[in-house]
Amino acid sequence: MENHSLIQRLIARPEFGPFVLLVVEIAVFWGFNHDFLSPQNISNTLAFTVELGLIALAMTLLMTSGEFDLSVGSLFGFSPVLMWTLFNAGVTSLEVGFVVALLVAALIGLVNGWFVTQLKIPSFLVTLGMLLVVRGSALFITDGFPQRTWSAEGSWLAEALVGDFFIGPFRIYMSLFWFIAAAIALGYVLTQSRTGNWIQAGGGNPNAARARGVNVNRVKIGLFVLSSVMASLAGVISSLRTSAANPNSGTGYELEVIAMVVIGGTALTGGRGTIIGTVLGILILRVMRNGIVLIGVPGLAYNIFIGAIILGMMALHSWLERRHQAGT
Amino acid sequence: MAEPLIRMQNIRKSYGRVQALEDANFHVNEREIVGLLGDNGAGKSTLIKVLSGAVPLTSGDIFIRGKKVSLRSTSDAIAHGIETIYQDSALVTQLSIARNLFLGREPIKPPRFLNRMDQEAMNTVARDLLKQVGISKNIPPTTPIGSLSGGERQAVAIARAMHFDSDLIILDEPTNNLGVAETQGVLSFVRSARDSGHSCIFIAHNIHHVFQVVDRIVVMRRGKVVADDIDPKKTNVTEVERIITGMSDKEIRDAVADGTPSH
Repeated sequence: MENHSLIQRLIARPEFGPFVLLVVEIAVFWGFNHDFLSPQNISNTLAFTVELGLIALAMTLLMTSGEFDLSVGSLFGFSPVLMWTLFNAGVTSLEVGFVVALLVAALIGLVNGWFVTQLKIPSFLVTLGMLLVVRGSALFITDGFPQRTWSAEGSWLAEALVGDFFIGPFRIYMSLFWFIAAAIALGYVLTQSRTGNWIQAGGGNPNAARARGVNVNRVKIGLFVLSSVMASLAGVISSLRTSAANPNSGTGYELEVIAMVVIGGTALTGGRGTIIGTVLGILILRVMRNGIVLIGVPGLAYNIFIGAIILGMMALHSWLERRHQAGT
Repeated sequence: MAEPLIRMQNIRKSYGRVQALEDANFHVNEREIVGLLGDNGAGKSTLIKVLSGAVPLTSGDIFIRGKKVSLRSTSDAIAHGIETIYQDSALVTQLSIARNLFLGREPIKPPRFLNRMDQEAMNTVARDLLKQVGISKNIPPTTPIGSLSGGERQAVAIARAMHFDSDLIILDEPTNNLGVAETQGVLSFVRSARDSGHSCIFIAHNIHHVFQVVDRIVVMRRGKVVADDIDPKKTNVTEVERIITGMSDKEIRDAVADGTPSH
């Protein structure tokens, strides 16, 4: 095994397939339309990429622990609605409203985690129920109408989260730095920290982990909280950037986020996860969405490509996994 | 007589109306490998589950070196130095050998608030341990458990119990599904565990394997310990099989008396 060359080891990594796919994707789109790599298009793609990306990073850890969270899309819509409603009603400042929105999200994550670990209900059912509760609350609070958001101008919160500036011809939002920071921090947690070992063990063989004294339930509850808070943060960032707080926003994001994570090489069944893979998975799907529109394929055809990518990548990962198990 | 390492006294365990253990008495001495035998449903697994804290007992007492203990959970049992190795559930296949060895007790590099595992220290210890249990092939400690053979996995689990100084290592069917060479490997790990001061309970369907490694054989039938002092050097497989399958009490007494020194 140790005789394998560097290239062979590189190919065996779960991130290798997604990396090649991303490179091919970029090359093909650039071949069709050179504007694809224009500074403006790159800036636009990056701005939205990091918002879904923040959710996908947290989802990577949660899925590695063997669970997943379908309520993230509804929190993405709910949290900004809550923040703006509190602010517009004059109850709190924008900043306090932001903190309240994050705290409520943490509480929702806690409830998800409690149902899954204490009542032993599969996370699919718990978070599906929570999706409806949260989305329903957002619609009920607002009567289904978007909230006023124009007063964020000049707020330090808005500056810190989505303030923009130019690096050469590239328009960069602050949210990109938050995304990079989150990716580094969560990548560190997963691969270097003791908690990361527990996350992987909790997803791979929870009984073995418990037999070693690891509190698997506490780890999972923590990750549900993280997932909810990240979805909430992403929703607020998106709302500040687009100056909109629509109770319906984020619909369907849960599945797109899960797709990003599994394309990147994280196992749906738990035990194995990669933050680098997830970053690649995020870019693959966002580049695809942007690229097919740019080269003139009807936007409605987007899902056909996404579905095909998911199936192709799953086949690749399953093949790599079998090779891995065979010890080659 | 010196107190045994583990003494289980009048252990009863019932699941509803089913009596899985009826006044079972069992002990393990220091530095001793005990073979626990019995037919399916004889109560071996239940006895082991009680001792490893996985199921609570209905009544009875457990003593460790003469001191009464209560084992409410597997963590309790581990804290008391009792480690149970189940064939399929001991390790996390996705994690490396080193990460499995230290799971739940990972060494942390300073500064502690970064919660960073000391992977070099883990790998160094893992390399030494693999050598100690006699894995001859040059397997790096970063290899995932999933790519090891059944025998190598058992070796890793045993190495872990030895490293963390468990007084008693319980091996549940450690030689199941293993080839001849691998079985011999596992048996030698068990011997080296005893030689370094650990006691073991060895459960296996294959009586020949038990005979090769244990110091004393205990047989259970219908929830009771029916023979607890059989010396494998002084009896044979056929005799023990007769005890397992059931004979009259006199026949058992005769068989045990033939096979063991008087005491």
